[in-house]
Amino acid sequence: MSRKLLDSVRHLVGREPERKRRTRRRSPLATGVQASATVFVILRRMRAPLIILIFIFAVSVLGLTLIPGQDADGQPWRMGFFDAFYFMSYTATTIGFGELPYPFTGAQRLWVMGTIYLTVIGWAYAISALLSLLQDRAFRQALALQHVTRKVARLREPFLLIAGYGQTGESLGRSFDTLGRRFTVVDITDARIDALELNTHRADVPGLVGDARDPHNLEIAGLGHPWCEGVLALTDDDEANLAVTMTAALLRPEIPVVTRTVSAVVADRMRSFGDPTVINPFDRFGDHLRLALRSPAAYQLMSWLESGPGAELPPRGSAPAPGRWVVCGYGRFGRHFTGDLRAEGLEVTAIDQRPGDHDDPPTIIGDASDPGVMARADVAHAAGFVAGTDNDTTNMSLVAEARRINRELFVAARQNQPTSAPLFAAMEVDALLVPTEVVAHDAYAQLSTPLLWRFLRELPGQGDDWAAEMVDRLAGACGTHLEELWKVRLNATEAPSLGPWLAGGELTLGDLLRSPVDREQPLRAVPLMVLRGDQCVMAPGGEFVLRTEDQLLLAGRPAVRRQLETTLVVDAVPEYLVSGRRVPSSWIWRRLTRSTPRRA
Amino acid sequence: MNLEKVVFGFFVLLAATLNFGFFIGDISDPTLHNEYELFAAVVVNLVATVLKFGDRTQIGAVHLATSLVADLQLIAATLVWAYATQVSTEGLTASATASVVSLSGGALLANVVSLVLLVVETVSFRRS
Repeated sequence: MSRKLLDSVRHLVGREPERKRRTRRRSPLATGVQASATVFVILRRMRAPLIILIFIFAVSVLGLTLIPGQDADGQPWRMGFFDAFYFMSYTATTIGFGELPYPFTGAQRLWVMGTIYLTVIGWAYAISALLSLLQDRAFRQALALQHVTRKVARLREPFLLIAGYGQTGESLGRSFDTLGRRFTVVDITDARIDALELNTHRADVPGLVGDARDPHNLEIAGLGHPWCEGVLALTDDDEANLAVTMTAALLRPEIPVVTRTVSAVVADRMRSFGDPTVINPFDRFGDHLRLALRSPAAYQLMSWLESGPGAELPPRGSAPAPGRWVVCGYGRFGRHFTGDLRAEGLEVTAIDQRPGDHDDPPTIIGDASDPGVMARADVAHAAGFVAGTDNDTTNMSLVAEARRINRELFVAARQNQPTSAPLFAAMEVDALLVPTEVVAHDAYAQLSTPLLWRFLRELPGQGDDWAAEMVDRLAGACGTHLEELWKVRLNATEAPSLGPWLAGGELTLGDLLRSPVDREQPLRAVPLMVLRGDQCVMAPGGEFVLRTEDQLLLAGRPAVRRQLETTLVVDAVPEYLVSGRRVPSSWIWRRLTRSTPRRA
Repeated sequence: MNLEKVVFGFFVLLAATLNFGFFIGDISDPTLHNEYELFAAVVVNLVATVLKFGDRTQIGAVHLATSLVADLQLIAATLVWAYATQVSTEGLTASATASVVSLSGGALLANVVSLVLLVVETVSFRRS
């Protein structure tokens, strides 16, 4: 009784510590169990053939020792176990040295004839069992599983776990690989894992064929691994994404989760587990297009930075004339998008075949491909047109039809299938929604470096001219293909040489970004942002004074990055950059010239 | 009744009894130790070993280990026997017989452990 009471009190009071302890506990889904699974499978399957083989050998040898024979002189003689086993060994393996040590009698030959056939059957059975085991699906899976388990266990650097390797996962994986980040993959279709192995990634990517909804599979892919730094749930199934989010939140509450869904309800359910980042491509596309309407340059900059290293500078669109919009397709996407446009204060005419059971029906009910319906929507006097149905063929014909009616239209379209990409590219629509790409870009922006995400969030508030200037500066430093963005934290580990300069407040950004070889030459790196504590300064100028613990987000070629790293590490360089005075960097030369660089 | 368990128990027990049959008797007297019995002990031990393959439990692993020890000892005994009868000029002497039998005695110990495990497993089966 009293114990029960105590337990319930402990239950009430002890909840918090309990939870904390849970975060640190490694999940019990041990992965070591699979390690020897393949060996056990082989052993278990080989039981019957091996026993049959032993049995055949035993009977044959025994028979040979029992059957009377003759020696060379015709005297009765019996074969010993040693000779019998020797004979059976070379006979059964089809080597066949002949009748040793003496020629056999008729009785012996009769017995040997039988044993020859028996042993051949035994061997054939054993070998075919082994071969069929190698062909066996379950066995191959066990082998692949063991392979992946071992590869994941050997990872000794931070890696991401990608559940679902479709369009989104693949393009994201490529971006992370370019950045030199590691990741592991779980996907339900083996074709995608095969494709993963064929892809030329720089690093080795462990890929597991399995259902991501099964926590065990996630565990094998490294969810419980101490180096796992994030989980991405990018399958095309909302429920699977929810399950992955849930598993990650329960087993590893401390690592970030990025997940996708197009349903607000599922998004809410996901948010009830921990604090996952839920990406809704329709929502994000709406935000992007609103940005494009207000500031084409900011939109251009954002889509360029989000595309990851190697991306080509996207063309800058022109903002559509203010006016009425026509949205075809009033499903989940259409509704979302119409809401975004209306929030911008724009008038919207929505067309859909179904009246919809929601409170807000489309403005016009009817088939948008019907010329009569198009006429009712008055496309001729609209400013923008959105082909947002879930059918690519319909969308393309809608775009063509709308353009025929009104050449000046700003046209946005939704691409559902990856195979339609070249067709949409040929149509040259002003804005194209590819849900998989939106998710990939968004997830990249969030996970590549936290600074980029911050930068992109601050970006819309900066104005069109500022964004246009940034695009020009970036294009000047990188060319038309985006180079890697990187982050520098000005502290003792990443920038040991700057210590005293930062503490004294004497180092400006302009000085830091000079070539360590010739200070008159500026480094062609673009500082996108400086984060100081919680404050961020967008695109700081050369006169910006740096301080300890500032975080810089920079863009530039790898050679520039290496030059900057020299500055950050070699003691003598900052002095030269600031004052132009060369200080020797070796100890002996310093002694000789009696000069020392400033030290912390 | 599980036929697999019957076969398993049969072979484990038979391996131990055959081994015991060969082992018993004056250690250096070749006439008391039949080579056919040794042969049967080796074969049955091998079969028992293979039957223990693929059991992933802790007790299964120990089972397999004892069987492997018994195999090793018995195969060593047959090698000594083969050397004495085929290679050595003196034939199966008292000392050679003694080493064959003592090696099989080691195997017998391993087989006894195997038996104990079998009994323990059987007894604890109902309780758990």
